[in-house]
Amino acid sequence: MGKKIRCDRDLCVGCGACVVACMDEKDVDLAAGEVGNRWLEKMEQWENGVLSITYRNIACHHCKSYPCLPVCPTGAITRDEETGAVLVNQELCIGCRKCDEACHHHIPKFNSQGKMTKCDLCYLRLQAGREPACVKVCPLGALTLEEASDHHKKPKDHHHKER
Amino acid sequence: MRKTPYLPELDPDIQVRKSICTICDPNSQCGLDLYIKDGQIVKVEGDKNQPYGQGTLCVKGAALRQYVYNEDRVKTPLKRTGPRGSGQYTPITWEEAYEEIATKLGVYKDAGTPEQVLFFSGYAKFFRPWLKRLAHSYGTPNYTSESSSCAQAMNLSQALVFGTSGGPHVGGGLECLLVWSNNPFASNPGGARGINNMVKKGVKLIVVDPRNTPSALKADIHLQVRPGTDGALALAMGHVIIAENLCDMDYVAKYTHGFEEYKTYVQEFTPERGEELTGVPAQKIIEAARMFATAKASGIQPSAAPVVHNTNGVQNYRAIFSLLGLTGNFDVPGGQTVNPPSFFHLPGQFPTRQDEFMQSRPYEEMAPIIGANLFPVWTEIITDEGQAMYLPEQIRTANPYPIKAVVAFGMNHRMWSDSKAMAAALEQLDFFVDVELFMTDTAKLADIILPACSSVERSEFRCWPNGYVVYTTPAIPPLYESRNDIDIICQMATYIAPEDTLLGSGIEASLDWLLQPSGLTVEQMKPHTGGMFIPNPQPAPIGKYLENGFNTPSGKIEFYSEVLKKHGIDPLPVYKAPLHSQVPTPEVVKEYPMILNTGSRLPMFIHTRTYRLAWSASLRKAPAIDIHPEDGAALGLSQGDLVKVVSPMDEVRGEVNLTFLAQKGVVHLYHGYREGDANSLIPWDYRDPISGYPGYKGYICRLERVEEG
Repeated sequence: MGKKIRCDRDLCVGCGACVVACMDEKDVDLAAGEVGNRWLEKMEQWENGVLSITYRNIACHHCKSYPCLPVCPTGAITRDEETGAVLVNQELCIGCRKCDEACHHHIPKFNSQGKMTKCDLCYLRLQAGREPACVKVCPLGALTLEEASDHHKKPKDHHHKER
Repeated sequence: MRKTPYLPELDPDIQVRKSICTICDPNSQCGLDLYIKDGQIVKVEGDKNQPYGQGTLCVKGAALRQYVYNEDRVKTPLKRTGPRGSGQYTPITWEEAYEEIATKLGVYKDAGTPEQVLFFSGYAKFFRPWLKRLAHSYGTPNYTSESSSCAQAMNLSQALVFGTSGGPHVGGGLECLLVWSNNPFASNPGGARGINNMVKKGVKLIVVDPRNTPSALKADIHLQVRPGTDGALALAMGHVIIAENLCDMDYVAKYTHGFEEYKTYVQEFTPERGEELTGVPAQKIIEAARMFATAKASGIQPSAAPVVHNTNGVQNYRAIFSLLGLTGNFDVPGGQTVNPPSFFHLPGQFPTRQDEFMQSRPYEEMAPIIGANLFPVWTEIITDEGQAMYLPEQIRTANPYPIKAVVAFGMNHRMWSDSKAMAAALEQLDFFVDVELFMTDTAKLADIILPACSSVERSEFRCWPNGYVVYTTPAIPPLYESRNDIDIICQMATYIAPEDTLLGSGIEASLDWLLQPSGLTVEQMKPHTGGMFIPNPQPAPIGKYLENGFNTPSGKIEFYSEVLKKHGIDPLPVYKAPLHSQVPTPEVVKEYPMILNTGSRLPMFIHTRTYRLAWSASLRKAPAIDIHPEDGAALGLSQGDLVKVVSPMDEVRGEVNLTFLAQKGVVHLYHGYREGDANSLIPWDYRDPISGYPGYKGYICRLERVEEG
């Protein structure tokens, strides 16, 4: 069964705790040219005189169609059966960027060595019965882990509801 | 980049130890689960059993490893060998450092002028009772802290009105919350969850803020006030409440002092006049006043500093807090209630003998405290510390007496207005000791630098308002030769105040002494490494002040302050526009047409403490200058353009960030950047005359494009 990380835009204030928790989880060395797997894009909109400031909380969707996977010439991209996580083996990656061209959201990022990097859904944490690092850290409960099939349903009450 | 998570279930060599994060000190402290392998913290998570953080962390805490294992950490005690500021030091032993300090500070004590030595605490705060005691045991009245420009003026304002400080009684039937310039979504996740919960429960939310913060965008009514005009807004709300007979007249008659004078004064503050002064539409002022006054119970969530970082700050806040007296909302269930401090400034529902511990020598036996000459109201009300904003002036002028030496635990000269002058004043000292985690620009001015450790390397006591306490255990030993600040204080005491045997007895014995009335002991708390609820919480009774009287000269809530009157200051919460603004100084404003509003919180920073953490700092380019897109268009500025912010004092550079978060006509600039130091833009005497607080939130400036190349 596939899983995905969902962000409730009404709750997210773009604090960046998820971005940094991901860097901590993955030991991202920014000075060495590594890049994080999650990032934020601010959107400011006026509608009927009312301002809204919301954030796109962006990382790999681990989508069921995974268009990045078949286009990889070296087989570096695979899918974890248990969690549905789409994974990249950097040792096989040749940095051709075909995955980025195929991805509807241009999620794949490339480090200074040209190796593709992206969210792996913290699939090993999931297998150990834990939440992804970004979901665990979120101070407002905006990020939740959900079954991918819930994509179009209304969000369930998240795990921080008791707060 | 790591592939395999560090989890004990995958690697038996990994241990999880508890601690607390104190990167952002005030009122927070989220619990930590630290994943440790081979003595190194390899992963940081929130402790889900700890009630404050509830398993989560903020963006700063998530970057904790880069705070602890930072290349800028001071590793050993250091003695200066080159000119001040050069960063040339030689390592010395702790004993050599203490002996040097004892020799240098001994001079002032022997000469009978210990007041010429000033002690100062920046962040963190856990050691402050010990540092204050050390200062007084040594013989100086001059214990001071960064609270000289933080929450104390807000406390002072409340104390002038109520004789104490209160907060909204959440969960007690609160129906309307008036948040006055507080955005916990950037500064305090627990507070942010509190606001979300209240909104969910249908509590009406009024938010006063110049910016479109997450708090403001969630509000039922957002009053987008012009910086520094908060007092006029509160007085206009008071006008509406009186004009529409929405006062609680029984309460006013029984429990307040000076209502008639207040009523006469607010007559001129019609909603229309309010709009003119504050920029908030008159209709919104009316709606907010009605909402606040007609709710069954209303409370005000103040912020530490934004309102008081203005030249009329204390009076503005008095006008705000007066609304509680007017509507009968102080010391009643669901309104504004008092949860008195147990340890340091924090409520914990238990008694201590902290005051006795801290005041090891009565003030009467020492010289006048710093600031007493200029800010006597502060000295009368804020009895726990001097007003350190006066420090550079006193060093420079020796008035009323010289300050020759400073012993600081975490000092940042960029906290002061005209920050370059503060750095220059520190260079003028005979002797300057700075205890620090990092080799900062201020530390580089010190003669002796002592390495402090972070929260995860030490033991400390902490309490929370809900009766939760912890005495932490070091999760890792102190790195390098660093030490716990309290150990440093207690060890220093044996050199400079040897007769204070309680301080000399060390952290655990002195903490046990301080906590004695509570029944809590270190031994009892130690096994609970993540913290525990105290066995016998003693919540403060509501209605105590209504029954027994208020701790003010009149014994009542004072619209008309007898303390201010005594000091020759206007007793009513009078409104004055910011000293430099359109009304009093149109000729100056012609050259500097924009309002300079500095220091509003950003989620990834807490003052300058996380600038050196690459992970969190990557979220915001430094230094960015937030302006409204329409101002950008009018000035021909685009996103990312390099500009100068020019004030009558100085100029700083930064990149334009166009955002509707900003208020039109206002330049929002974060503080403390080495390359764009907001406080250098503000003159030292641009301050509130009662509290001495600099007008950080409402000065004047203009923007100029910087041509590249």
